[in-house]
Amino acid sequence: MTNMNLYSRGDKMFVILNMVLIALFTLSTLYPFIYIASLSMSTGFEARAGNVILTPVGFTLEAYKQVLSEPQFWNSYKNTFIYTIGGTLMSLAFIIPGAYALSRPQLYGRRFWNLMVAFTMWFHAGMIPFFLNMRDLGLLDSYFGIIIGFAVNGFNIILLRNFFEGIPQSFEEAARMDGANEFQVLWKVYLPLSKPAIATVALFCVVSRWNGFFWAMVLLQDDSKIPLQVYLRKVIADLSDDEEFATSLLNAAYSFETVSAAIIVCSIIPILLIYPFLQKYFSKGILLGGVKE
Amino acid sequence: MAGVELKSIVKAYGAVQVVHGIDLDVQEKEFVVLVGPSGCGKSTTLRMIAGLEEISDGELTIDGRVVNNVAPKDRDVAMVFQNYALYPHLNVAENIAFGLRIRKEGQKAIDDAVEEVSGILGLRDYLERRPADLSGGQRQRVAMGRAIVRRPKVFLFDEPLSNLDAKLRTQMRAEIKRLHKRLGVTSIYVTHDQVEAMTLADRIVVMHDGRIEQIGTPMELFLNPVNSFVAGFLGAPPMNQIKGKIVAGSNGPAADLGGQHIALAPLPGLQNAVGREVIVGVRPEYAQIVTEKQDGAIMGELDLVETLGSEALLHMSVGGAPFVIRTETLGNINKLEAVKGFTAAPELIKVFDAKTGMALSGQTRVE
Ligand SMILES: Nc1ncnc2c1ncn2[C@@H]1O[C@H](COP(=O)(O)OP(=O)(O)OP(=O)(O)O)[C@@H](O)[C@H]1O
Ligand SMILES: [Mg+2]
Repeated sequence: MTNMNLYSRGDKMFVILNMVLIALFTLSTLYPFIYIASLSMSTGFEARAGNVILTPVGFTLEAYKQVLSEPQFWNSYKNTFIYTIGGTLMSLAFIIPGAYALSRPQLYGRRFWNLMVAFTMWFHAGMIPFFLNMRDLGLLDSYFGIIIGFAVNGFNIILLRNFFEGIPQSFEEAARMDGANEFQVLWKVYLPLSKPAIATVALFCVVSRWNGFFWAMVLLQDDSKIPLQVYLRKVIADLSDDEEFATSLLNAAYSFETVSAAIIVCSIIPILLIYPFLQKYFSKGILLGGVKE
Repeated sequence: MAGVELKSIVKAYGAVQVVHGIDLDVQEKEFVVLVGPSGCGKSTTLRMIAGLEEISDGELTIDGRVVNNVAPKDRDVAMVFQNYALYPHLNVAENIAFGLRIRKEGQKAIDDAVEEVSGILGLRDYLERRPADLSGGQRQRVAMGRAIVRRPKVFLFDEPLSNLDAKLRTQMRAEIKRLHKRLGVTSIYVTHDQVEAMTLADRIVVMHDGRIEQIGTPMELFLNPVNSFVAGFLGAPPMNQIKGKIVAGSNGPAADLGGQHIALAPLPGLQNAVGREVIVGVRPEYAQIVTEKQDGAIMGELDLVETLGSEALLHMSVGGAPFVIRTETLGNINKLEAVKGFTAAPELIKVFDAKTGMALSGQTRVE
């Protein structure tokens, strides 16, 4: 524990202010989670009435029963997994070799290619042309369209490229002397050394795929292919438009607020579960000891 | 095992040429050391032999085969890097085995090879460790293990000891020498440490500004440097070099060093040379101390005495030019502070042309 006596008055104020700000920040991040979780476990009546603030009011799991008994929920849940896993693997399959190539000094036209990739970070064609492009390629309403259409992302490529560039060139040279070809250099030396960076990029891909909403809504008409986020929106839109449903449920155990909250909780859980699994890669300094500068 | 031949090898980065046509013939089993000041092109030359740098012009032959356009992995050479470049994610055994694994050797062969190499290098107890958990000397050994395990035709070393402390460097230097005796693999070794060059080399190649100044055995280069650059590069401390002018001495040629005359051997290069501007070179070891003015001695002022134990370095000033004498302390220790000058045997004095730096004196031999 810090010894506060070592601080001057001004320093003490500063430390206290810091702690207060950090506490506020933590609360503001955590509160929506707590609120949604509590909402999903409250009765529909209390939720409608706006009585849920911190803890569940009139505890019930009725909303979950409703959600989990709906086949469309499970189907879109499955779709989200397909888009997330398929999309992340596809992204890594493009991003890793692309970033590696761009990091090699011997790449012909390296500056040009790097510029081309960086260019896409600031400028793109825009929504309508992209939609038309996907339509003309026959990629509407298809799993593959969603997966391939967003597989490559300039930011992730540059991120990983910078990491590869930071790995001393002599590892590549040693591997080449040892008989490795380009592919083996990447696979057996650079990839194992880049686990933290690849985990970071993979997490970015996973999160953006998991939360991906807008383009899935635009590109997918077929309800059997929509992901969870689009399904959630559909539920909210359908139920809240339905006056009759709303009034008939005045006293019911669930309402569309609690149902949507339950869907949100269900959709957050997998991401929360995978983060600790990836996190171990973030703190490790694996490059240590291999070379001496 | 095989020889390596460089014919007019040139390296240019764009318009900048950094290696200007090098000719070198490394014999089978020979240990050749490339030495020279920083930036003279040693690493570049070595890396061209390794295949890590493209050869801009000239022809490189390994074991009788021209390999200019052969990939590093197909040249059958192994390299030890200055920074070791051990794979951090692999343990010692896996680091050593990496090359064999890439070449799809059988597991049994790999195990045997790792066993043998780790035995030779004293790494048996560390096979499971990661590079991060090894000392500098152990890492150095693993780097060598990785090179020798493949039994390549040629070993290349780029300043492999420069990251070690002085004591370990001396120890590893001896180990490299022993290893070369044992394995007899053709080796090319880059360093800017002239002691490493002298102790390890069968032949030394002195480089300067992308050119070879001289090739020869350590003693040849030490005794008969072809020019003042080589003379100043090899030896610690290096050869003293004082500007002077050839004059006719009482018996044979002499050099006038700002009023004092030093006798030179009557060498062919010095005939009809009276009046020529020269540089007179005297190795610190070959200068004999004098404490009183005497015939043929060159007098100067003593600045500083550095006692090293068995020897001492006397820093003098001769006609304004610095001059170092290296002498035994045994029997001399009380005289050192009283030194007023030196004498040197004429046949051990080197003379270089002041303009070109080329040696004028003939061959010195030591029996
Ligand atoms: N990629 C490059 N582009 C341009 N010039 C280069 C490049 N690599 C090396 N050089 C130049 O080539 C020359 C020789 O470099 P090299 O690394 O061979 O020197 P060295 O003798 O090994 O020196 P040191 O003892 O410092 O390692 C240097 O002047 C260096 O600046
Ligand atoms: Mg170098």
